[in-house]
Amino acid sequence: MVMKNPKLAQGTRRKLVPLQVLVPIVSTVIALGIGLLIIAATGASVVEAIEAFWDGMAGSDFNIGASINRAISLALVGLGFIFASRANLTNVGGEGQIAMGGMFATAAALHGAGGLPLGLAFIVPLAVGTVAGAVWGGLAGFLKAARGTNEVISTLLLSFIALPLVYWSVESFHLLRKPISDVSSLPESAEIPDSTKLPLLFPDNGSPLHIGLLIAAIAVVVVWLVLKHSTLGLRLRAVGLNATASRRAGMRTSFYVILAMTVSGGLGGLGGAIMILGQQLYLTSDFSSGYGFDGLVVGLLSRGSAVGVVIGALLFGFLRSGSINMEISAHVPSAVVLICQGLIVIVIAGSAILTNRKVTR
Amino acid sequence: MALLELSGLTKRFGAFTALDDITLLIERGEVHCLLGENGAGKSTLCNLVFGVHRPDAGTMTLGGEPFDPRGPAEALQRGVVMVHQHFSLVPNMTVAENLMLGRASAVLKPQDIIVRMEQLAAEYGLEIDPEARIDELSVGERQRVEIIKCLLGDPQLLVLDEPTAVLQPDEIDALLAICRQVALRGKSVILVTHKLGEISRVADRTTVLRQGRIIATVAMEGADIRSLVRSMVGRDVQSAGSVLAAAVDIEGKTPAKSSSDVGPTSPGEAVLQISDLVYRDPHGVPRLDGLSLTVGTGEIVGIAGVEGNGQTELGLILAGLAAPSAGAIVVGGTQVTGCTPQEITDAGVGIVPEDRHAVACIKELSVAENLYLGAIGKFSRFGLLDKSARRKAAETMMRDFDVRASSPDVSMASLSGGNQQKAVLARELSLDPLVFLLAAQPTRGLDVGAIEAVYNRIRAARDDGLGVLLISSELEELMAVSDRIAVIYRGKLVGELAAGSFSREAIGAMMSGHAHV
Repeated sequence: MVMKNPKLAQGTRRKLVPLQVLVPIVSTVIALGIGLLIIAATGASVVEAIEAFWDGMAGSDFNIGASINRAISLALVGLGFIFASRANLTNVGGEGQIAMGGMFATAAALHGAGGLPLGLAFIVPLAVGTVAGAVWGGLAGFLKAARGTNEVISTLLLSFIALPLVYWSVESFHLLRKPISDVSSLPESAEIPDSTKLPLLFPDNGSPLHIGLLIAAIAVVVVWLVLKHSTLGLRLRAVGLNATASRRAGMRTSFYVILAMTVSGGLGGLGGAIMILGQQLYLTSDFSSGYGFDGLVVGLLSRGSAVGVVIGALLFGFLRSGSINMEISAHVPSAVVLICQGLIVIVIAGSAILTNRKVTR
Repeated sequence: MALLELSGLTKRFGAFTALDDITLLIERGEVHCLLGENGAGKSTLCNLVFGVHRPDAGTMTLGGEPFDPRGPAEALQRGVVMVHQHFSLVPNMTVAENLMLGRASAVLKPQDIIVRMEQLAAEYGLEIDPEARIDELSVGERQRVEIIKCLLGDPQLLVLDEPTAVLQPDEIDALLAICRQVALRGKSVILVTHKLGEISRVADRTTVLRQGRIIATVAMEGADIRSLVRSMVGRDVQSAGSVLAAAVDIEGKTPAKSSSDVGPTSPGEAVLQISDLVYRDPHGVPRLDGLSLTVGTGEIVGIAGVEGNGQTELGLILAGLAAPSAGAIVVGGTQVTGCTPQEITDAGVGIVPEDRHAVACIKELSVAENLYLGAIGKFSRFGLLDKSARRKAAETMMRDFDVRASSPDVSMASLSGGNQQKAVLARELSLDPLVFLLAAQPTRGLDVGAIEAVYNRIRAARDDGLGVLLISSELEELMAVSDRIAVIYRGKLVGELAAGSFSREAIGAMMSGHAHV
């Protein structure tokens, strides 16, 4: 009934825009406040902790760059999540797609890409990592299209396969493990050649910020265009909302399911490749360390908006940097920040129910 | 004294007034029908009486006492029960178990339920196996369970919200008989419907609602059906002949066909040829069993039959949503057997599917998006949508086909069923090329005004030289619109009647498998 009156609908929407901006901010503040209480409860100095936290997030050009670099990979996984969710598919396998992307990018960088000219040295590993992630996501899409396997389960289980694959590859000398030079040699790959590392945007001021930022920015614009304004976006939406009606209207629904999961996985794979080529520079067994799940949360909180993904990724990227520094210099466990992240999610998700209820009333 | 008294009831949803100053008496022992187009406020009125919504103004009394239910629980306590359009039964539990749900007693005694069910079966003819699982029952039987659930507690007032929309003809007869039985025992029945035929068969009095107001309350003895129709839609229905005949069906008379309704005397060349079509479901049961049929250009062929005799499967196969096990389908010389929906569309086939919500449209998308669902690429440049061009084209199409919506950008879900169906017809009849149209249950759930529009579109398509296959469970509709009626029984066509020789009795006999022509 309300839908029939466009004036009314507009009225409620106008009121809601600030609410949708306000809610995440307020929930972040509340969550951080609770985090401070926990820090105080552990007996650590709250002032020291805040200083260390701020320093880690944005205390220097280096720290800002590192925070943004973290946000880049989170944003790519988040974009992948909203791409799949446009077709009503839930890709929870970001962790595995990052792992596959990072592992294959490392392999490409170590074996062959290093000598390529004209920037191809890092472009080829990026592309290889993207394809690896795309295959990992596409596999879930194929299972869904061919056998109806629930993609939530298949992407999750594919992650449980991908993570041990990375472990295997860094444990095995036949694969990516570097030769043992002394007793302290860890199971990890050799460092990638300099030519395959992502070029820095500001090489002079010591910021680690690299061109992954540009790649992510392009990805944001492309995903936004495709989802909001393209025929492909509309077809994905139609297939996700009602597969039978879409099939009747001439769409190949299996194709779009596989495509959505492939692109989604590819974005995750790209995120993983950027983590290796931009920051970590060698492969370790646990290099993805929760980025896939954080990226999933970023995608969830954005509610399908590419801009929301950017904001969420920056928030989580900075929080992660701050928490690492807080642990190192103020001896506050970084788990406190994880608790805060969890609180942010719960408060935002909870308030989403409230705002939704206002829309439907 | 009246059982239920409504005075000045008003209900608003936001700025929309769903009910406006309703004053109405429901007598004891009467079947009171509520009649009106979609959105007239019939369901809202029921929901107020059942406590689902609370009125913004006005009062109710029940049996002389003030009645202001704060929720269905309170209404139930006062002896008001309601059967909703959508059933609330647990599919994987038995009938008896479902009936025990929601009983307040802490100790459940299945034998008490079974004894009570036997009483109800004796009193009202409501027979059903207490041990049957709900998901094994037909729609009609499930509804019977809902009614039993209502009658368990010996209520005063039974409210039925469009109970016949989902039923087959024989089930409708049974339901109307039950309503009469309930009323004979001094209880009252409120029956929401937009089928005039039912009203003339069961109602003691009828109240016509339009735009949330009462237009008239009429005692049915000696009432003029035509004036009821007029007050329902607010105007004279054009070409009233066949529409009224189809909708009214007073005492099951054969509707007369006016000469203008009859198509060209001799249909042209075959546009659809189905030969020996066989379809087995996943369990290997043959749903279509050697069906052969030809539709010529410029004719409407109706398929009559009791539901579940293969009509649904025939519709799905023609739409390309199911692949036949054997047989061939040729459209205008092109083989389309087992082809994809896109290939079938390209061969010139328009489909108005039986299940509008599941197959024909995507209710969350806008009207414009639905009108061009099969041609998303038509309004695009470099893969990006040209939304303003699409909006313009959609506006033209909506004007041509009288699809009423405030804008092409509103969601399909916000349209009435009639306008949704007009949009589907607009899309399918605008296909190019187009030589054949399948219309499966095209007027199901629509109000009289929309039914008329659908009939006119189908006839116009026929007059333009299309071959039309009309699958319907409404016999009156088939007799009013078709040039030829074929009867389907257990997946086969068992007989055929040409225009002018339609007879309810003959078709009915063939539908039940008793006679061949």
